[in-house]
Amino acid sequence: MLSLWLPRFATDRIRRLRDVAAPLVIAGRRGNADVLTAIDEAAERLGLSTGLALAQARAMHPALDVVPEDAGADSELLETIADWCLRYTPLVACDAPDGLLLDISGCAHLYGGERELVADFGRRLAQTGFAYRIAIAGTIGAAWAAAHDGNPDAYAAGEERKILAPLPLAALRLPPETVASLGRVGLKRIGDIIDRPRAPLTARFGTHLLRQLDRALGVEHEPLTPRLPVAPYVAEKRFHEPIAREEDVLGTVEKLAARLATALERRGDGARRIELTLFRTDGALRRIAAGTARPLRDPADMRALFAERLHAMADEIDPGFGFDMARLSVLVAEPAPPEQIGIGAAEDAGELVRLVDRLSARLGAQRVRRAVAQDSHIPEVACVSLPAQMTGTDDGWAAFNRHRTDAGLAPRPLRLLARPEPIEAVAEVPDGPPLRFKWRRALHDIVAAEGPERIEGAWWQEENETSATGNRARDYFRVEDKSGHRFWLFRAGLYRDLTRADVVQGARATPAWFVHGMFG
Amino acid sequence: MLDELRQHLARLQKPAGLVEGPAVLPLGIPAVDGVLGGGLACGAVHEIAAVSEAHLPAATGFALGLAALASGEKHLLWIAEDMALLESGAPYGAGLEAFGLAPRRLLSVSVAHRHDLMWAMEEALRCRAVAVAIGEVRHGALDAVAVRRLSLAASETGALAFLLRAQPAHDASTAATRWSVEAAVSNRKTFGHPFEFGAPRFAAHLTRNRRGPSGSWILEWRDTDERFILAAHAEPVAAPLRHRSHQKVA
Repeated sequence: MLSLWLPRFATDRIRRLRDVAAPLVIAGRRGNADVLTAIDEAAERLGLSTGLALAQARAMHPALDVVPEDAGADSELLETIADWCLRYTPLVACDAPDGLLLDISGCAHLYGGERELVADFGRRLAQTGFAYRIAIAGTIGAAWAAAHDGNPDAYAAGEERKILAPLPLAALRLPPETVASLGRVGLKRIGDIIDRPRAPLTARFGTHLLRQLDRALGVEHEPLTPRLPVAPYVAEKRFHEPIAREEDVLGTVEKLAARLATALERRGDGARRIELTLFRTDGALRRIAAGTARPLRDPADMRALFAERLHAMADEIDPGFGFDMARLSVLVAEPAPPEQIGIGAAEDAGELVRLVDRLSARLGAQRVRRAVAQDSHIPEVACVSLPAQMTGTDDGWAAFNRHRTDAGLAPRPLRLLARPEPIEAVAEVPDGPPLRFKWRRALHDIVAAEGPERIEGAWWQEENETSATGNRARDYFRVEDKSGHRFWLFRAGLYRDLTRADVVQGARATPAWFVHGMFG
Repeated sequence: MLDELRQHLARLQKPAGLVEGPAVLPLGIPAVDGVLGGGLACGAVHEIAAVSEAHLPAATGFALGLAALASGEKHLLWIAEDMALLESGAPYGAGLEAFGLAPRRLLSVSVAHRHDLMWAMEEALRCRAVAVAIGEVRHGALDAVAVRRLSLAASETGALAFLLRAQPAHDASTAATRWSVEAAVSNRKTFGHPFEFGAPRFAAHLTRNRRGPSGSWILEWRDTDERFILAAHAEPVAAPLRHRSHQKVA
């Protein structure tokens, strides 16, 4: 476990934004008073401390540079730093408000050891202008305690007890009240309670105290909750010389994909969602995700997928001075049948899947759609289009066909408008088809009509007052006008309901007509 | 009888598996196929325009009818700009089903820009699983280079590329044929109430044909056996485009 503490986080953030000449303090409201929430080194030398009332501090030192607290900006910056830390390990957790926890087990050897990793980490942090303290220990608790209160360099494996004993009790991440009441009975250091009988301590200070102690000592396991879900398959590569060209990036993708493919094949999995993370030399991060229509293993296919994504995102990538690390992770994996070498239909299906993936990667998965039939009478629900990458083998058309022939369903239009458009219609009262109607400023004289086909919403659905058509019954008509145009029209609501409403309101309401689609 | 003889003659003149020219998609109507040189040229770009925006559904029907003839077991891509889908509606699966086109073989793609549309069409045409790519390009001139690229992509796989337009274009084009389509009055069986619908009819004007003369026909789409039949010669060849609704069908 590695614990990073940025003791001057809030003031360092301001210093990175602008030049600060005077001692810098951050002030925020606590309860009813404005108090100092963070101070920089110069302010600390003046004898200020956090928690001091702002008015008092101003009275002591009129030249102070006071900046209002901005918790949002702080946490945003912390998230950014956490992202940047992904270069060391995928298991990064935010330790708000001013620290991070990294699980580096199994990662340190990539840097030649824990000390080397810490050295590299420190060097990069120092470049960014943050004061930092880093400690490594076997448990989260011990690492945190060492980073905040102890000597960060004193780490040795399995010696949590020795490190913790001289540290103050606050290093156990206890609430201030508990620390204060422990202090009142003379217990100040962790060493003071480490060997005490447990029952009296629990009785007096609650279970939390000893749990924190056990966790720091490694008696009880404390899990790290990473910010981002951990990908089941990850491959990464570091470059001695930063890369910037698109071909180099794609070449790297293919190499990493080849490594992933071996792992995927061993477990019989295929990738459904892949993410490429590019680490820029200045610490910025580029995440590029791509989805696939079926579980994917072939490195060349993965490369093709990212070629489209890179092309689509060209402006956002901006390699700057180059990327010095790339990581390819499979975010979602699914069992995949072993690769089969087929001919004919199977091969064509594979070709189509590749086309869907390419189009989705470049245009966005939402833009490549396939029609799916659903069990409903409402036209806009009966047939919907879903992203082609998500639709499975059962698209409902077999059932729809059965229903169509059984029920003798009237023909449906070739094109359906996104939403029904209101028209002005003159109709035969009470239930006849319209004689003529006006839509988009054109008048259509109807010479032939078929219908009505009554389609009602489900009875358990509330009447929807917000939409123009509502959930009222619709009478659909297929009509043809004088010049051969064919439309699918409907009247929303029944005449008997309208007349009832007329009686109540005492007004003459005309039934609402809509055009919903066009036939070829 | 005469039709049969003509068909027979056509078969004799152009034996199946034509060796010299590229493959064609016969419409099954000798009069039309004769003008087209055996049928619609595969592996080429065809422009299908509505005579005016109101006739776009008819042009859609004509294009989908041709696509149904061509696609067989292969897939059909419908690529349209967002605006086109918003204005004229999206292809409706249940309607395609009734029209004779299995909706599971249709992929619809919406794009924000014209260049994306051209790119998507080119990708689709290069895919062996795709028989027809329909690109809906409502308004504006087409980039001749892009259309040429489409022709090349189509000729590699023998797929058909249809450019569906809301208005006839007058720009130069490398398309193999250019059609303008308008809705035609269907053959109603009775007048008076209740009305009865006939099969949809299209007045299809072949205004440009690289392999032969132009022509005009009224075609009827039979969704029961999924083919076009000839309803009437709409106009004498090369006459000005004009709708003649008074001309009743025999």
